Amino acid sequence: MMKPGKRGRAPGAALVLPAITILAYLVIIGPIAIVVIAAFSPTEFFVFPPPGLSLRWFVEFFRLDNMRSAFALSLELALSAASLATILASMAALALVRRRGALAGVLQGLFLAPLVFPTIILGLALLLFYKTVGVGILPGLVLAHVLVGTPYCFRSVLTSLQSFDFTLEEAGQSLGAGPFRTFFLVTLPVIWPGVVSGWFFAFIVSFGELNTALFLTGPGETTLPIEIFSYLQFQGSQLVIAAASALQVGLILVLILAIERLVGLARLARS
Amino acid sequence: MRKLAGLALLLPPLLVFLGFFVGPLLYLFYVSLHASSQSELYGAGFTAANYAAILTDPFYRRILERTLATTLEILGLSLVIGYAAAFTIAGLPPRRRLFCLVLLLFPLMVSNVVRAYGWVALLGRRGVLSTALRDAGIIDRPLTILYTTDAVVIGLLTILLPYMIISIANALASIDRAYGEAAQALGAGPVRRFLHVTLPLSSPGIASGMLLVFLLTLSAYVTVTLLGGPQSKMLVSLVYDGVVAFDWPRAAALAFTLLAAALLAAAIILAALRPRRVAGRG
Repeated sequence: MMKPGKRGRAPGAALVLPAITILAYLVIIGPIAIVVIAAFSPTEFFVFPPPGLSLRWFVEFFRLDNMRSAFALSLELALSAASLATILASMAALALVRRRGALAGVLQGLFLAPLVFPTIILGLALLLFYKTVGVGILPGLVLAHVLVGTPYCFRSVLTSLQSFDFTLEEAGQSLGAGPFRTFFLVTLPVIWPGVVSGWFFAFIVSFGELNTALFLTGPGETTLPIEIFSYLQFQGSQLVIAAASALQVGLILVLILAIERLVGLARLARS
Repeated sequence: MRKLAGLALLLPPLLVFLGFFVGPLLYLFYVSLHASSQSELYGAGFTAANYAAILTDPFYRRILERTLATTLEILGLSLVIGYAAAFTIAGLPPRRRLFCLVLLLFPLMVSNVVRAYGWVALLGRRGVLSTALRDAGIIDRPLTILYTTDAVVIGLLTILLPYMIISIANALASIDRAYGEAAQALGAGPVRRFLHVTLPLSSPGIASGMLLVFLLTLSAYVTVTLLGGPQSKMLVSLVYDGVVAFDWPRAAALAFTLLAAALLAAAIILAALRPRRVAGRG
């Protein structure tokens, strides 16, 4: 009864549990909401609730060179890293989906590892490695974001492939289609929701990535989250930061709506 | 032919992961076994001195202890609150449950720097809470919670709580109702049913939630820095400070200390909860 229907509840739980749940949602979402609302404030400093509405801090955001270029870099990075991660992860998922055994298990673990691996260590390892072999800031960042995004795509594509009927591929091949034609004409049209949601996930993860980017950005080549962080650290809470944050939140909401339109939200909650 | 195609598919992602994930980590470990150097990335000759220093130096010791205490506090609070919320959500009808879960996924997608900023704005001396409480006459001096470990606990707890809730809610939702009904038919009351049926069957969700919260707490540099300030440094802050000081071997050794702590904690959590037992394995 562990679906906690009314008859399964301990006495008193009927009130306490929903209260804790509502409180949990408040403290999880509240801080984000406050930043987004404050971004529309016409005042010079952080006031909550704002006395009026204005877009002055968004205008200011796009007027500042460092903010604008950080935003642009984050977008480019997220687009390229998500696309590369989706390709790599789809290859890995296709190669591993029908394999059993210890080696396949280890490889799956490897492609999922960045999900739980302390990414700050990955950032440090990459920084040292790049310094030693000489990798530029931009390709270095792309690679790091690909690594961090790949597990999301891998899991998403793998889930799609697990319910894919591989006799369809065999049918395609017996009719004379090569492996590429089979993939693009038979497999991809069936598994595309997994590929698409994987791409979105990787994009979002890359757009907010902090721990690896912390070490890998450089002067003039900074991502938006790192730019927000250094502003907060060295110049205090300014409303242009709230505007930067609100832009990030807005972009994510747009992407969530796009996922809902394209593949449905149920897929999101499962992955 | 099929095998060859599989290998060709596997090779590119595998090479990227070996070349840019496994390889650099091994190199980092190699660097951690050297002395620091002024002119080079690391000095000549092998030494375990970096690790010895971390384990014996009282400064490092204090920060290790603080990291452990803070992490355990976050873990305990998130487990209790997360379980309560997950229990409520798992009992909702499917459509509303999905809505509640998506509402939790959305904050996870927002960068942690934005979420930590929200808490800075809330908890600061002239922040939203301080102002509101003073206007209401509840306090007469500004709140001094920002830049303490309490602020770090509050911030990280709320940032990571969705992982715990989603993990446990999914585990709870997949439990077969028949088990509970059988226990009830055999005369078990609600408390006993919860302790002997629901709780053990939800242990995979508890284990994955705890693992995520623990591991993400350990590497949450930005949140720790923004909310804890210079007085509440954690292990992860030392890694960063090592990099800023260009002391690569020391930073590397600290990073592997962090990794060892993470692996140890993961092993303890898995051994204590034995989540695989629910699936009939182990």
